[in-house]
Amino acid sequence: MKAIKIFPFILCILAVSQVKAQRGEVKMNLQYSYALPMGSFKNDVISNGSPRGVTADLLYNISNKFSVGLGLGFQDFYQKYPRALYNTGHNETTSAVLSNSVQVIPILAKAEFYPLGGKNVAVQPYISAGAGLGVTSFTQYLGEFGGSNNGGNLMLQGGAGVFIPFHKFSSTGIRLGANYNMVNYGKNGFNNFNNINFQAGISFPLR
Amino acid sequence: MKNKFSLVAVFAVSTAMLFSCTKEPLNNLTNEESRIYVTNSDSTINFGSYKTYSISDSVAVLDNGQSYKDLNDVDKAYIDAVNNSMQARGYTLVSKDSNPDLGIDVNRIYNTTTGYIGYDDYWDYYGGYWDPYYWGYGGYGYYIPSSFGIYQVTEGAISIDILDLKNANTKGKIDVIWNGLIRGEGIFSVNNAASNVGALFNQSAYLKTGN
Repeated sequence: MKAIKIFPFILCILAVSQVKAQRGEVKMNLQYSYALPMGSFKNDVISNGSPRGVTADLLYNISNKFSVGLGLGFQDFYQKYPRALYNTGHNETTSAVLSNSVQVIPILAKAEFYPLGGKNVAVQPYISAGAGLGVTSFTQYLGEFGGSNNGGNLMLQGGAGVFIPFHKFSSTGIRLGANYNMVNYGKNGFNNFNNINFQAGISFPLR
Repeated sequence: MKNKFSLVAVFAVSTAMLFSCTKEPLNNLTNEESRIYVTNSDSTINFGSYKTYSISDSVAVLDNGQSYKDLNDVDKAYIDAVNNSMQARGYTLVSKDSNPDLGIDVNRIYNTTTGYIGYDDYWDYYGGYWDPYYWGYGGYGYYIPSSFGIYQVTEGAISIDILDLKNANTKGKIDVIWNGLIRGEGIFSVNNAASNVGALFNQSAYLKTGN
């Protein structure tokens, strides 16, 4: 049943405008995201990849090569560690299953650069950069006992990928790419939730 | 343009679905995984210097500031499990009148928290399903009297204390030299008593006699 519902959605995407990418156009990127924790986030909190993510960009084409706008998203990280012993105080030892759960919501000012923008090529490479707020929620449990910390901190993003238009000069097409996300945290000895996310989706003009 | 709004709407719905797909840690725990075993010990104590122990014949129940003694099947199971673990570590059970080196008590602890929820808080969520048309009074509104319901959450724990009776006279006090605490789902079960007590002793390798 899910496939039947999704199929008209794909047709809808294909039918969307085939106009040339041009200055003044507003476009939207919608992408599924798979993320891998990096650095201390991977070593100290969650090492598992996250298949639960989505990104969305609303961008304004300044020219055929430059776009600027807003980048949003959501990524859910989770890992349950087998029962182990933890020092939880002076001469206190706790045996518990440790569960870590982290959600990251980026709210970024974003820019994209298409070096081959305006040229009739089958694949348009791009690089992107973003800066803004990383809204985070970190929940940690020993067994069923724990609590969460929410916050918002500086987030920086750098990315690269390709845009594959459906037709010559079409503004609608498939996007494939990856972003390195630096997400500051700085609570309870945890420094960051840095991660790299791989994304695939569509791009289409809004007007 | 309509198609584009449809795309955005589909994306919004998809995002909402992703949020709802967030892995909820507590929903991914078995009863065994929900439990924690906490031990505290006096690092200055040489547990090998103690040889005998006595254990209370009932359990102290500490229930929200009140205390009384009890002995049900679960209590017996925990007392038996502690006896087995202590004897496996080389300690000898003696009567309370035989000057045991160690005293052991087992406790059940209950902590109840109370809160309230406004009736009109959740009426809005499900009240919409019962449109006034359902009752034959289309166009009418509902009036929700201001009221609230009380909810209570009781959390239990099992606590085991080992007391230094051997040096009580010398010190002029009875020191608690070891404490084990068990919290989580299914702890008040006869079937889980042995494994729960075993977990406390497994993480307390120093707890053995010098014999």
